[in-house]
Amino acid sequence: MSNETLPQLQAPLTINWAINNSCNFACSHCYSREDTHEELPRDVLYSSLEKVAKAGVFSINFGGGEPLLHPHLLEIAAFASGLGLRVSMNSNGWLIDQAKAAELKQAGFTKVGISIDSHRAEVHDSFRGVKGSHARALAALDHLREAGITTSISTVICRINSTTIDELVAVALDKRVGQLNFHNFKCSGLGMANKDDLDLTPAEWKDFYRAAIAAKHTVKDLDISLDDPIIALLDARDAGTLVKGSVCGKLSLNIKANGDMTPCGFIPIVIGNIVRDDLRQVWKDSAVLEKMRNKQPTGKCSGCSKYDDCLGGCTARALALTGDMNSPDPHCWGN
Amino acid sequence: MDITKKIRRNPDVMWREEDEALAGVQDSLDRGEVVEDVGTAVLFSGGTMLSINYLGLEIWKLCENRSLDEVVQELLSQFEVDESVLREDVQAFLDELSQKGFILYE
Repeated sequence: MSNETLPQLQAPLTINWAINNSCNFACSHCYSREDTHEELPRDVLYSSLEKVAKAGVFSINFGGGEPLLHPHLLEIAAFASGLGLRVSMNSNGWLIDQAKAAELKQAGFTKVGISIDSHRAEVHDSFRGVKGSHARALAALDHLREAGITTSISTVICRINSTTIDELVAVALDKRVGQLNFHNFKCSGLGMANKDDLDLTPAEWKDFYRAAIAAKHTVKDLDISLDDPIIALLDARDAGTLVKGSVCGKLSLNIKANGDMTPCGFIPIVIGNIVRDDLRQVWKDSAVLEKMRNKQPTGKCSGCSKYDDCLGGCTARALALTGDMNSPDPHCWGN
Repeated sequence: MDITKKIRRNPDVMWREEDEALAGVQDSLDRGEVVEDVGTAVLFSGGTMLSINYLGLEIWKLCENRSLDEVVQELLSQFEVDESVLREDVQAFLDELSQKGFILYE
């Protein structure tokens, strides 16, 4: 009665919503620094959230920019929560003290992810461009947990942290977070400009994922999440997963501060606008999403025995570096 | 498992019917076609997702303070099937839902 494959969904399950692009940090890998600073008025945002809820979306993950700099984040989250949407957020943690954590809980936030780039404060602070940010991020995790909000740590893997898995796991265990998310490095925004300094070689990615998968299997009381489709090359994708390749455009969608919809936060192709368009219609009819859902193997992907699981890896990375969604993921170490 | 225990859906599970798929299945059923492999709803909780077919959806919707026996009796009033076969299928499905934490027994 449960199926091996997923039907064509009528709407995304989750939406990553960058409600603002203002930020108090200056991260070396920021993908939205150059993005629009136009933001939807609160009443328009509310009606857009109603559309999203009506379409059947389960959850909203607010991002930015730094979402806590949005003057009405709490009211917006409470409104979304009142519509039955599960509300979460990604933050740098700088503005989360004990009182703010309690307010976030009150507003309906069930989960908050805090970005931590290194176990070493000076490395994190330098990468984020703000002295003291590491200490504030760690303190935020404590405040959130004490307020009853599930926490996670998000780490974008790059040259400053790829060999420090054990140390990052130790931080996560110490802070009793529910999940440690190791995100693959995307070449978008400043990530593209700084890729020569930050990105790993395919061989280094292989080494990282081997070690991360080993940690995932041995570390207890912590969910280590690896969202990169290319781990299929190491036979590490869950056998029961219903989605092959990237989940972007299959389970999730991105909405920008001005309402523009894109397949994910790292693919700058606008496929509609939540204010103007019908979400279900865009989800069903977008030629861009259709192409992402029906990728065709090219180059070394042709004939690769892992292609059915990996589907060419991260579409955003392939598009950013080659201009073609169907190109093999540049991080792939396969022959 | 005690078959007299009441079953209820875990409130943490987010789920929805897929309207178009469901309408298509209902048309297929009217034509007497097999619809077992067609997903009509998705369930999602804690990073685990499940796509369920028409019968799975009917069972899922009945998981509201009913025992296994009560779920089976409800289904027998809707479908012309052998009771022992149905009971076995329902039990297997509920075991899967329970193992994934999607339902709770009280």
